[in-house]
Amino acid sequence: MVDVGIKLALTLTQIASVMGIVLLTVALLTLLERKVLGWMQDRMGPMEVGPYGILQPVADGLKLFFKEDIIPAGANRIMFSMAPVLSLVPALIGFAVIPFGPTWNVEWFGVEFKPFVISDINIGVLYILAFASIGAYGVILGGWSSNSKYSLLGGLRSAAQLISYELNVGLAIVGVLLLSSSLSMVTITEAQTGGFWRWYAFAPLPFPQFIAFVVFIIASVAETNRTPFDLPEAESELVAGFFTEYSGMRFAFFFLAEYANMILVSCVATVLFFGGWDAPLPFLQFHGSLEHLEWLSGMFWFTVKVYTFLFLFFWLRATLPRLRYDQLMRFGWKVLLPIALGNIVITSIMAYIFS
Amino acid sequence: MKFGEWVKTLIFYEILMGMKATLTHLLHYKPITLQYPHEKKPLPPNYRGMLALLRYDDETEKCVGCDLCEAACPSRVIQVYSAEVPGEPTKRYAKEYYMDMTRCLFCGQCVDACPVDALGMTQEFEWAVYDKRNLQLNKQQLLAIGDRAFPVREKRIEFQHPNVAYFNVSFGDIPQKDA
Repeated sequence: MVDVGIKLALTLTQIASVMGIVLLTVALLTLLERKVLGWMQDRMGPMEVGPYGILQPVADGLKLFFKEDIIPAGANRIMFSMAPVLSLVPALIGFAVIPFGPTWNVEWFGVEFKPFVISDINIGVLYILAFASIGAYGVILGGWSSNSKYSLLGGLRSAAQLISYELNVGLAIVGVLLLSSSLSMVTITEAQTGGFWRWYAFAPLPFPQFIAFVVFIIASVAETNRTPFDLPEAESELVAGFFTEYSGMRFAFFFLAEYANMILVSCVATVLFFGGWDAPLPFLQFHGSLEHLEWLSGMFWFTVKVYTFLFLFFWLRATLPRLRYDQLMRFGWKVLLPIALGNIVITSIMAYIFS
Repeated sequence: MKFGEWVKTLIFYEILMGMKATLTHLLHYKPITLQYPHEKKPLPPNYRGMLALLRYDDETEKCVGCDLCEAACPSRVIQVYSAEVPGEPTKRYAKEYYMDMTRCLFCGQCVDACPVDALGMTQEFEWAVYDKRNLQLNKQQLLAIGDRAFPVREKRIEFQHPNVAYFNVSFGDIPQKDA
């Protein structure tokens, strides 16, 4: 009984710390995105709140917190209140299976636990994909229940887009799953340890998953509703898309969900294609007499990789205009899908030959 | 389609070039924007800003109440109530002078029309107010704007060049003398 109590306490601590870090990162990202976008467009970004605008997320958060909570006339109140939660929770829940550092087994008061992953379940990838799909319901319900044509159009667009691109995400991952013969995020990371030439995006044998990685990144951008695939919230056409009618904390929930999804997708890309917490060159991490500090370098490299992908998201947003709707659909079904399928075929043949 | 173009499409050549462009701007970061309330762009010398009534260097008003500005104004901003200067029957002045700045389009025709250069356009433009009535200015307010915007003042026309004094008009195109 005591064991269960300690186990529960440890797990709750882990969950709390991961949640805290993720939400802090979201706050940081809102600032970083505006800053990076500004710099790329020869602007300065937010400069007013605090030195160089670094307190802008605090100001934004306070503003959203004190805003009036409006439910439009004729809206479905239950669905309208549920939709933001339904979109935020799946985004945050995915972090449960992400390994942030080395897979140690630490024994503490007679209870074994892994400090750097909340739960090492053997279907981690499937779990993340499943919850990402549930997140789509939040978007669709939010659009439908608002009783507004712009919201409805945004929701419908996002429904079609998420279904099309979810498929590509799933198929792009299959190559990695074939190579690692596991669905557990921890096992997939461990299979890639030992330098960047072992990471699945670059590993020469049996077949580098770089094409799959490109497909995965494009499909992920589409799935997180980011530019150039931000049709669900196309500002110039649909005001703000599915969250046009939302205000205050409900709007903040959608906002948090979008950024949490970005982080989650970056984490998944890091784990599946870029070796998770593995250092690009073996000597770039603590080893030998500093073995006990390996987790430090591991978490450092994980953070670096995740932030690289997050920067890629900003970079794409600063560069590319929005796609037209038919272009989006054609690209998803006629280009990405065959490439992902071809990648699976080639990878399985090569894996059969070389193993 | 040519083979080269096909390869370019395949490796996202155009998109990569675009991303290179944005990255170059990030690396050679040189903002072209001004942090407006803190930094202000220098205005050109002939900037047509807020209107003001001017004074001579002995604190008397330049305006002779001739109504020409009222006649020249295309949007009927100006209202002049002319009167005799008490004790000096040959001279007139504007007893009351009103400007409805909500209607002004800053064309500068009143300034051109004025025979004694009693009107001036300042460099002020930050005249956003919460109450529209604050933009309906009377003579005192317009003179105050002129006082703060044009600290260097002319001599009275009588003490300027004899020709000027005779015709009792100023010549705006003659360069101003140093005070």
